[in-house]
Amino acid sequence: MKVVELVDVAKHYGAVRALDGVSASFESGTLTHVAGPNGAGKSTLLRVIAGLTRQTRGRVNVLDVDLFRSLHARERGRVGYLGPEAGLYGELTLTENLRFCARLHGVSESRIDAVLQRLDLGQVRARPVSTLSLGFRRRAGLSRLLVTDCELWLLDEPWNGLDADASASLAGELRAHRESGRTALVAAHVVGDYAALFDRGVVLHGGRLADA
Amino acid sequence: MNAGLRVATAVLGKDLRLDLRSRDRLGHMAVFSALVVVLLSISLPAAKRAAALWIPALMWVVFLFTSLLGLSRSFLAETAGGALSTLAGAPCDRGWVFLGKAGANFLALLGVELWTAALFAVFLDVDWAPAVWPALGVALLGAAGLASIGTLLSALSATARFREFLLPVLLFPLILPVLVFASQATADALATGAVSGLHWGALGLYAWIFTLAGYFVFDQILED
Repeated sequence: MKVVELVDVAKHYGAVRALDGVSASFESGTLTHVAGPNGAGKSTLLRVIAGLTRQTRGRVNVLDVDLFRSLHARERGRVGYLGPEAGLYGELTLTENLRFCARLHGVSESRIDAVLQRLDLGQVRARPVSTLSLGFRRRAGLSRLLVTDCELWLLDEPWNGLDADASASLAGELRAHRESGRTALVAAHVVGDYAALFDRGVVLHGGRLADA
Repeated sequence: MNAGLRVATAVLGKDLRLDLRSRDRLGHMAVFSALVVVLLSISLPAAKRAAALWIPALMWVVFLFTSLLGLSRSFLAETAGGALSTLAGAPCDRGWVFLGKAGANFLALLGVELWTAALFAVFLDVDWAPAVWPALGVALLGAAGLASIGTLLSALSATARFREFLLPVLLFPLILPVLVFASQATADALATGAVSGLHWGALGLYAWIFTLAGYFVFDQILED
């Protein structure tokens, strides 16, 4: 089943063509590595798929719907986007942030303890997110996706700032995500030891997409 | 609970928690309005009867400038940690997110209005006793109008380079009718203890129109 389908998608910022006629589809239960140099359009691609940035041209179907249509707004909750920042509130503690996200998505807060334990975040759960190190903040961002139980993960440079243990933990979470039949697109310059983790690689260059 | 209502109450609760936690926004507004009222009390000493004619307009201008401090920080927490994308990913119409944010701003601005009114009573001898209920009604509708327009424009300018400059430039022309009707209604309340139906209707209609506009436009504002 196609989880993401892009047909001739373009996104222009003035004269800059961040995406230029991208057509591709991504199947459920797969992990895809989106590679490409700086400014290739990787982040824009993920944001367009997440429904955060509207494409200038073309069609984007995610989980069989167009996320920009008000009619399908409910489906946005099935997509989890983790950008360069954690997407959390610095003044709130990690637990308060996760409770807020659970309420936002209408999922049970009972998952929070298990997720914090799984990502080894128990020790910082009561600390304001702004006081966490970059590595902890990255993991905290991932915990948000795990609590809200999203089907499609869109991760932008998720290995940035992670130490070896946390990187391995992230790879483990990606594996578990795929094993549960779910899908992830991971934009990253380099994936180092984790290249074998992915079922597919695509390369963006100058806003155009090609299979690696 | 309806998904939209759940999202709006979650956003409202989160914003109130942030306000009470950091006290930055409420504290800055409270200190600013106190300073301005004290300055007014010093600069308008002699002719209190003449000053009384200006009191309602002065109060609403003080309140408007004070509100700007709070409204300009309304989306700071979201832009600082990338949480705007978390809100944009809420599984409902994004208009509900707007209602939650506007609701939190409404409560904060209402608190600042009551604080400012108390300062006017202490430093400028304004007697609210005969006009307390109509004045409270005007405060409610004025805060609702300002919160709805202010939240919308604050979101619009949140990621702009000159946010602090852009917000007042956009806000002042749009808020002018609220300022005029609220000042006149407050003057009527203080003079006669009653407010005309025209003023109630105008303030209510303005708040309603901008709340609806915010609900429907917010989706586009949250997009890049």
